[in-house]
Amino acid sequence: MSNKRDDSFFIGWAAPPSPLRWFMVAVAGFLIVLFAFSAYVIAATQADPGGGSFRFDWGRQNVVGVLSLDPYPVIHVTESERFPAGHALLLSGNGKRGVQERAEPLDGQLVQASGVIINRGDIDMLQVRNGEAGLSAAEGDAATPIESEDLGRWRIAGEICDGKCYTGAMRPGQGLAHRACANFCIIGGVPPIFVSTVPVEGEEFLLLAGPDGGPIPDELMAQAAILLEIEGQVERLGDLLVFQVDPDTISVF
Amino acid sequence: MSVKYIPVQWNFNKYFYDLVLLICVAVYILVFIRIGTPEAGVTRPIDGAIIRMRAFGTCAFLMLTVILCIGPLARLDRRFLPLLYNRRHFGVLTFLVALTHVVYVLNWYYAFSDISPVVGLLTTSETSGQLLGFPFEWFGMLALVILAILAFTSHDFWLAFLSAPVWKRLHLLIYVAYAAAVAHFALGYLQDATNPFFMIVAGGGAVMVSVLHLAAGLKASADGEQAHKGEWIEVGDPTVIPDGRAIIVRIKGNERAAIFRNGDALSAVSNACAHQNGPLGEGRIIDGCITCPWHGFQYRPEDGCAPAPFTEKIPTYDLRLEGDTLLIAAKAHPPGTKVDPLTVPERDA
Repeated sequence: MSNKRDDSFFIGWAAPPSPLRWFMVAVAGFLIVLFAFSAYVIAATQADPGGGSFRFDWGRQNVVGVLSLDPYPVIHVTESERFPAGHALLLSGNGKRGVQERAEPLDGQLVQASGVIINRGDIDMLQVRNGEAGLSAAEGDAATPIESEDLGRWRIAGEICDGKCYTGAMRPGQGLAHRACANFCIIGGVPPIFVSTVPVEGEEFLLLAGPDGGPIPDELMAQAAILLEIEGQVERLGDLLVFQVDPDTISVF
Repeated sequence: MSVKYIPVQWNFNKYFYDLVLLICVAVYILVFIRIGTPEAGVTRPIDGAIIRMRAFGTCAFLMLTVILCIGPLARLDRRFLPLLYNRRHFGVLTFLVALTHVVYVLNWYYAFSDISPVVGLLTTSETSGQLLGFPFEWFGMLALVILAILAFTSHDFWLAFLSAPVWKRLHLLIYVAYAAAVAHFALGYLQDATNPFFMIVAGGGAVMVSVLHLAAGLKASADGEQAHKGEWIEVGDPTVIPDGRAIIVRIKGNERAAIFRNGDALSAVSNACAHQNGPLGEGRIIDGCITCPWHGFQYRPEDGCAPAPFTEKIPTYDLRLEGDTLLIAAKAHPPGTKVDPLTVPERDA
């Protein structure tokens, strides 16, 4: 009869036999190293989210310009300490909200706007303050019409993003992981942009519009954040390219 | 073993196990955030919330991978059985880590909007029919719901309430959770990331889980079916059974019996422990009781009853000798039925 403990037999409620004890310590050490190594290699190889960000270091920006409502609210600057006349500023509200309702009565008028800038390369978005201090009619009239130029029909490869996160409100603010957020922003009225894989007329991003020149149709939501090709009419509005896309021409890579 | 339900019956092994788990998670999160991320070549820092959601999400995936490796590893090498002992705590901690990942996601990607995060989660991720862009969040939600169910029912109360076979089947959903987690990463992060190392870690982990299960399955299927002689099944020479140990006999289908030798006495019981269906035949006789290798549950060999005050019972089998050949009855007795042990025949040296 043998009730003697087998050296390799583990019973949870009893002290482990000596050889097994050292094996358990070795396994514990291996797991800790495995977790540390995995964390390091995954974290250290994260992709660069780009150089976009809120420019709180620029302070509050006050601009005067002509507001155009379609497809999304944009101010074409006439007076600003930082931006040259003619520069287009995309507009957004706080969080994942646009400013359509506030901008609607001011369409085509000279307005003054105040807020914080989000900047990435050539793109600038103004997150306007709440109330009239953020966006209101300015004295004077929009005597100078915004210059527009039809650049013809283009088929462009790229990604549909929301203009706020891509510009730097989130880092990274594009890609599949960010897709739901992009949808939240676009549904909320933040201007969507098309980020092209190659520059179009010198620009890497274009403000998106629907085929009728208004906001993009809902069916494009499901296509946000993925690499695709789409056709549409490109128009230069001031220094901003507007891409009136035709949803029927989409092909996904 | 327990006669009443208390949250956790702590002992040294559980303290050690949980301490190692917590160290692994803490090391992972700290290394990810404090050491790994600053080494990433970025123009401007990645958002803190995104770093944390990535850290907790990838950590949960790694934990799930390790959990699924434990079972087959313990099958292939018995020294890994201690990892299996407290695996439920591993599962509960994995759920909490995954939940933390989801909280960061909801409070960042689904926040700062007039749309409710939950409504947004269910409605904004539309599918356009193609694989690329398929809402990977759905797979993540499925994995989290399963992990929540498994964590909630991980206590022995649910084991007794549902019965071991049902509980075991329920907890096999861990494989569905893992498949969903793989799909969640493959359709989301992997398609998006330019990071080859995560692909290697995630893909390598999934391959390792598959290979280990295949190897353990091949080992298990090597158990041959014994010859039936009417109501009895031929086992073979009883003297080859080591003292204090058992051999496992396949009765029919997945039903297996364990024939234990305790000195010169032979007794047969069901191979499935009443606790979690652990393989009793891989256990030992300790203090005169069959001891399960998974969680140390014990049963008397002669009647399959746990010693008082415990109440667990397992089925027993009749044994008989035909010449020098040991036979086991093809039909089990009800759990707890006493069967007189068979004496091992003496052999000439």
